[in-house]
Amino acid sequence: MRWILALAMAAATVGSFLAPPAAQFSEPELARIIFFHLPCAFAATVFFIMGAVLGIKALNGGLDADTRAVAANEMAMVLALLTMATGMLFSRVQWLAWWSWDPRQTSFLFVLLIYGAYFALRAAISDDDQRAKVAGAYSAFSILPMLFLVFVFPRLPAVMQKSLHPSTTISGGEFSGIYWSIVLSVFACLLIICLWLYRLAVRAGLLELRYKNEYNQRNHGNTTPPRVVRPVSLSEEGREENP
Amino acid sequence: MIRSKKDGGHMKSAWATEISAVFEKEIKTEQRSRAGFLTSLLSSVLIVISLAYGAFGSTLDGTLAAGLFWVALIFAAVAALPRTFLAEEEAGTADLLRLAARPHAIFWGKALFNCLQILITAVILVLLFSVMMGLTIKMPFLLIVSLVGGALGLAGTVTFGAALVAQGSNRTMLVGVVCLPLMIPLIMMGISSFRVALGVGEALGGWTSALGVWFYAFLVFSLAPNLFAMVWQGKRS
Repeated sequence: MRWILALAMAAATVGSFLAPPAAQFSEPELARIIFFHLPCAFAATVFFIMGAVLGIKALNGGLDADTRAVAANEMAMVLALLTMATGMLFSRVQWLAWWSWDPRQTSFLFVLLIYGAYFALRAAISDDDQRAKVAGAYSAFSILPMLFLVFVFPRLPAVMQKSLHPSTTISGGEFSGIYWSIVLSVFACLLIICLWLYRLAVRAGLLELRYKNEYNQRNHGNTTPPRVVRPVSLSEEGREENP
Repeated sequence: MIRSKKDGGHMKSAWATEISAVFEKEIKTEQRSRAGFLTSLLSSVLIVISLAYGAFGSTLDGTLAAGLFWVALIFAAVAALPRTFLAEEEAGTADLLRLAARPHAIFWGKALFNCLQILITAVILVLLFSVMMGLTIKMPFLLIVSLVGGALGLAGTVTFGAALVAQGSNRTMLVGVVCLPLMIPLIMMGISSFRVALGVGEALGGWTSALGVWFYAFLVFSLAPNLFAMVWQGKRS
């Protein structure tokens, strides 16, 4: 299975270099980065939605679901960072600036901030059950701004007029068939690799959880060592008689 | 639980009684300390004075003024509104509140109080912007519609964010980090409708954005009370 995946990824990468240059861009040869930029954005969205669904499950009192939700959101964050990095490279080459305050670029940065706050919120809560519930609620709620920023805001007519982003190139069918087939192949390979990494992260998280439970059971649910209390009798004036 | 009671010959529903009890409790707490109102009032005045001073007397463009207005409103909201939940945890009264009312009623009572507070702040901010920065409002009805919708959305989001943050440590620092990103769609649509109310852009675009603000507020109030109930019921301190 791994060999097939490696071969498929290699074939998709070679295909991205063999595809004809996209003539509508100012630097057609260097526009090939979209073969990796677009799949990263698609996969990040898939994992963000997965994180929200698992967050709702964690709300019903499941530490296992919380472990899965964290792994999904971590995966989504990595993919979103890759999307930002590849997007900035594209911006530097095509628009001559690393950051152009393009509405779509900025809205994706906001998505990153939303999920950055998710990890900050988790870090502030020490109790495992409470952290699972609070993080699950936040994750479920954050799907509202995430969907708005990814799917609604960039498609508003006023925003599309001002945006430098090649949205019409993609949605208007200006992409040739070979381009779409390479993008979808890279997306499929990336998704399989990310799901494999996600499963590894979940297994590590569940092991950690099981170890913590066993440790607590060994200590009868008490993680602090027992303390000795010595009786001390006091005189009427409050002075110690038997120190 | 707070029981329903006969009020003027009509049986008031248990929900309305609980929500109004939480709302009245917040009003009385505010009357005693005046901390929330004073915080939002002072932060609004300080922000507008700083902006007016920084602008060196020049009249601001409508788009820039709309952006600055919403930034001032958001900071006033984040400074004052989370108190409703943070104060409960600090004073140790959260468990008593759990016994007194159902989670949905607590959320609605606190969110309505926060909405009232942010509306008062918004009115003060509009007056300050008009007097100190010389703004003229071309479409007052659009301004009112978008502000009321915005206040509802802000109140719902900050109430929800504050309820989550109240369960953790480092609350005052964290509340802004958690609430601000969740309000971004509201800020974007609010600015868009506000600038039209100030005379920049087409009326249709302004009304569409105002509708978007109301729709987002509706979504917030559909989702947040249910999520809050699940978190609030699970907490046993």
